[in-house]
Order: sequence, then structure tokens, then C-alpha cells
Amino acid sequence: MTSGNHIQDEEQALERLKSILLRQDRAELEEIRGILNNKEKLSEKVKPIILDHFIFLKENFSQEYESIINDLIDKKLKQSESDILDIIYPSLGKMISKYVSLQITTLKESIENSVKSKFSFTRSITSFFTGVKESDLILKDAVTSAIEEVYLIQKDSGLLLASASNQESMDKDVVAGMLTAIKSFVEDAFNKDAQDLETIEYGSYKIVIRSYYSFYIAVAISGALSTSERGILSEKIDSFAANEIKIYKGKYDSAGTEISSLLEKQFIFS
Amino acid sequence: MMTSKKIILTGSFGVGKTSIFNQFMFQKFSDKYLTTIGVKVNKKVVNINNEDVSLLVWDIAGEVTQDKVPTSYFLGASGIIYVIDLSRPTTFEKLESDITYLKKLLPGAIVKLVGNKKDLLSEEELEETIKVISKPLDSVTSAKTGENIEELFISLAESYLVK
Repeated sequence: MTSGNHIQDEEQALERLKSILLRQDRAELEEIRGILNNKEKLSEKVKPIILDHFIFLKENFSQEYESIINDLIDKKLKQSESDILDIIYPSLGKMISKYVSLQITTLKESIENSVKSKFSFTRSITSFFTGVKESDLILKDAVTSAIEEVYLIQKDSGLLLASASNQESMDKDVVAGMLTAIKSFVEDAFNKDAQDLETIEYGSYKIVIRSYYSFYIAVAISGALSTSERGILSEKIDSFAANEIKIYKGKYDSAGTEISSLLEKQFIFS
Repeated sequence: MMTSKKIILTGSFGVGKTSIFNQFMFQKFSDKYLTTIGVKVNKKVVNINNEDVSLLVWDIAGEVTQDKVPTSYFLGASGIIYVIDLSRPTTFEKLESDITYLKKLLPGAIVKLVGNKKDLLSEEELEETIKVISKPLDSVTSAKTGENIEELFISLAESYLVK
């Protein structure tokens, strides 16, 4: 008998031993392979596990992932801030306008009711002669406009010639220069028929500008300014330019102190 | 009353106009106005023999003859500071034509030609560069060190007091 046959016999004996000892394991292994290779059977086994995990996630989602989600949202909001504002602003603006209109209407109605119950002879006379409703007069008294600053500025250079103000403000020379730059920019950019910039509005703050040959006058006003009041102010500025400072014609830059006093008298303290 | 004069600060992009003068100006407005309306107004008060001269400096963005900058920005100016970058020859290629244009627009205005970024050149390089510039420089400055900036303003203010 050769050694090769001997080895072969041993291997066969080992194999027979394995099949006896591992019969059950091999059967189980075959069963598992059968499940893994069969989609339906696998699904049947795996589905309950996934479902349980899904229910767990649903019940504990905020606990498990809240901080991660919050961080992601914060990051996204910061990155998209301008996009979000672009989307919100138009709707927000409309909402605010609607709300403010509603409040003003309500206020007017309540004032009307108040007017009916509280008679004012002076107000009635004023209303009769000016044609302005009494309620509008009451509103106007409640929200008055005030001239805060007046500037007389050399037209081309933007140099400040004279000024008067009701409050502490920024360096007037620099303000006059920047105002002239803005005026030049607007008139150059939107130049049709060589018109002059007449008003700059910022919230409840307005700058009324009247331009003349070699200079312009800018009046900064806080508060509500009706169309008729604006007209009256423009006439006042025109009259000032034509009459009050004509004696300084050609020498505005050397008469700054005198003109500033006139501006104060005419616009700030009147 | 204090003498006030409008000064135009101009020159090509990136020559250091805003950098130079930011250190020496009374600043109230942000540099953002340069990119939005193309100009920012600064103020510098100089004292000459106990007399104050207020220089309102219009720092104008962009090229001198660029269409995007309103010509009206230049009007009424008593002085022009034209800045070039000594390390970039392209910034003084149009020097002659720009100065001619500005003098035509503002006859009578004092013009100061300033070579900036002196710190980027050695003495030899500076000498060579000055030779090729078509006009003589009134001042050679450095935004980094502040060299010669104050002197530039003083010489401008002195011109107005003499006049």
C-alpha cells in the first residue's frame, strides 16, 4: 500500500467524521444561505428589525439629532441670509403697510368720534377756511415736522458756505461734500432734461433741496411733511435765496457767519 | 472764517489713493461709498502760520477719463492730486493725457503729481523709474510708512494762502 492511498483514506475518514459532527451546522448554514439569496425570505427577516429601529428613531429623533439639525439650520440660514431676506421683504413690506393703514384708519375713526364729542372752536374755524378736515388737523398736531438742519452749499465744489442746525450733527463740511456727491451722482445717472435732485427721503427724515445758479440750499426735516407744507417750505427757501442773501451775491464764501445767522433766524427759530 | 478748498484725489485703480490718505483724514463715511457712488469725501485741516486751511478731499474711484465716474465730481476743485504706483508702469502710461484732460476741465487748479509705493523699490529702482516718468513728480510717498503725505497737504494749503 502506497503513502498516497493512505493519505486519501485519511481524508475520506475525516470527511465522513465532519459530515457526522457538522451535519446540523451545515444544515443551518444552508438554510441561512437560502434566506440570504431569496429576497422575499430575507425581507421577511429584516423588516421587523428595521421597523423597530424606525419606531425608535421616530420617538427619539429630537433627542438623538436635535443639536445636529439645529447646527445645520443655523449654518444654512447664515449662508442664505440675503436670499431669505429677498424672499421675506416683499411680503413683510406688504404686511406692514396693510397693518399701518389699518391702524391709521382706526386712529382716524377714533379721532373723528372724539372730535364729534369734543368741540373746538379754533379748530373748526381753521378747518372751515383751509378746507382741511378737523381730524387731519388733530393728526398733524400730534405728529409735527421740525427743521433740523439747513445748509447753503456751493453748487459745483460742494463746499459749505453757511449752515444752521437744531442738533449736534456730523462734520458739516463733510456732510455738504457727500450730499453734493450724491446729488451729482443721481443727476448724472438719471439725467433727463437736466433736472435737479429735489428730495432725499430716509424713513421719517427728509432733505428738501432747492438749486440755484451757483449754490443750493438743503433743508433736513424730521417728521411728517404734507405736500402743501412742502410747497410752503420750498417757497420760503426760494424767497430766502432771492431776497435775504442777495446782498452777498458773489461773496458767499466770505459771508458765511452772517448767512448762517440768517438761516438760523429764518428756518430754525421761526 | 477758515479757508476751504475742494481737492480731487485721482489716478488709476490700485495705486493706493485711499490707503495713503485714510491715515491722515478726518473720516466719517465708510469706504463703501467708493464702490457705490464712486466717491468719498474726506476732510483734512492744515495749519499754516496759525491759519487753518480746510481741504475737502474727494477720493474718486476709477480711472480719470472713465465714463462711469460723473464729470461733475471734478467741478469746482481747486487742486488735483494725481497718484501713480511707482512699482507699476501701467499706472503712469496715460499720465500726459489724463493731466491734459484735467487741466482743461479745471483750469487754474493746482496739480500735484504723486508717486506712491516708494517702499516697494530700492533707491536705484526709484531713480530709474523717475527717469521714465514723462512728468516731474511733486512728491514720492509711501502709504506703508506715511512718508511725505503730511508735507504734500501742507504744500497744497500753502499755495492757497499765497494766492
